[in-house]
Amino acid sequence: MARIPSEHFFEKLGERSISFFTTVYEIAILFMQTIRALPSLWFYRRQFIEQLYAFSVKTLPIAAVIAIFIGLGATVQSTYQSSELLTRAVLVNVIFKTTILELCPIVLSLVLAGKLGASLAAEIGSMKISEQIEALETMSLDPVGFLVVPRVVAGLLMLPVITIIANFLAIFSSFFVSAVTSEWISAAEFGSGLEMDFKVFEMYFGNLIKPAVYGVLIALMGSYFGLKTSGGAKGVGAASTNAVVVSAVFIVIFDYYLGKLLL
Amino acid sequence: MISVRGIHKSFDEKEVLTGIDLDIPDNSTMVILGPSGQGKTVFIKTLVRLIEPDAGSISYDGEDILRMSRREWQAYQNNIAFVFQNSALFDFLDVRENLSLFLRMHKKLTPFQMYAEVSRAITFVGLGDDVLDKYPEELSGGMRKRVAIARAMIKRPKYIFYDEPTTGLDQNNAEKVSELILMLKKEIAATSIIVTHDIKLMRDVADRVALLREGNISFTGTKDEISAETLDFLYETRGEYDL
Repeated sequence: MARIPSEHFFEKLGERSISFFTTVYEIAILFMQTIRALPSLWFYRRQFIEQLYAFSVKTLPIAAVIAIFIGLGATVQSTYQSSELLTRAVLVNVIFKTTILELCPIVLSLVLAGKLGASLAAEIGSMKISEQIEALETMSLDPVGFLVVPRVVAGLLMLPVITIIANFLAIFSSFFVSAVTSEWISAAEFGSGLEMDFKVFEMYFGNLIKPAVYGVLIALMGSYFGLKTSGGAKGVGAASTNAVVVSAVFIVIFDYYLGKLLL
Repeated sequence: MISVRGIHKSFDEKEVLTGIDLDIPDNSTMVILGPSGQGKTVFIKTLVRLIEPDAGSISYDGEDILRMSRREWQAYQNNIAFVFQNSALFDFLDVRENLSLFLRMHKKLTPFQMYAEVSRAITFVGLGDDVLDKYPEELSGGMRKRVAIARAMIKRPKYIFYDEPTTGLDQNNAEKVSELILMLKKEIAATSIIVTHDIKLMRDVADRVALLREGNISFTGTKDEISAETLDFLYETRGEYDL
């Protein structure tokens, strides 16, 4: 078997490292450009409204299905593991907090990273390879203002809305399976489980802060990889894949640090 | 007048433009002719800063556009229209929205005025109002090209750039595009800059011609000054083109 020369390995490692840090730098630059272009949101309001629609109405059915089954799954898992050591109300509290703080925001964001991130990257990537982005520039329109800002702000605003609805559905489905279709817990006990150790900040954290950050990440990654697309249909495919993979990695990294910093 | 001096552009190790000097007089139609792979598209995109050159200067009426800030250039671009090789119509907008986008974003027109402008532009390029509600994917290549010309016309630019306007079109559509280029020049008195490999188009529309070979201008003059030998040299063939 041929040996790989060590210089070749270090060369590749160096290339990959440079490429990684360049990508992170470029994403940071795009983020700064997006912030700078925020005042143009009114100018591009029509694109913004279209993106609000794409980020909400179009994603709601899939979000609802996922949320309902997150609630059902979490309840089945918890009831299976229930023991005499913990009261059922405490278990409901565990289901509630796990769902609101972690399960719904992250599972939903990962799924929407697949759905929205891929479609954003493919949409912008197709525009890039068919010279539509350059056409925008020749019409004195800023591609960041026209394409990125409406998507990022839509992600920032609509992911929390979707997550609030999803959290409600998840808890309702949990209530339905544990208190209505079975007699594992009474409705009153379920209610007292929800109220137990209730912290308002946790509601903000799980319903607003986390999804807002993930919404920005999904839109930013989709836009970035779309704008970087080159080389035809294969390039568009690669951009979509990269957008999904990188969004997912960033989401789990941010999930850890947001929890560590804010909880 | 557009003055280009010492434009260089490289991609990785490959030098695509090797120090181009060129003057394009006002109200003329300048055709930059050359076979594929000589840097025509890179050059025309450099002229409108879609590609930033590595060195050199590009002046419009004595003003160096490469020294303009991004914001200044964005404002200046209202004087410029670009017809892309594959039309580059926005596929998420119908034809009406494609045509009215610039007006909606940059001109304070009433809906009635906007409708009148759009209708005039689409009629000018020989298409009916029924096309306005269609999306680009529903149009043929020739129709898309005409809509792209209408979109350029609606800006009423001082300079209009065409990147390979007849590529991929059948003879009828190519002739129609040649006619439109001439009609548009009369209608809005714009300076037209066309890059093409199509000798027939050059013969039909050019006031002046520049031959691009290996990233530099090898000849400038009127179309009548181009000899068959020059074209043979440019295309590395012997008369295998239609004069």
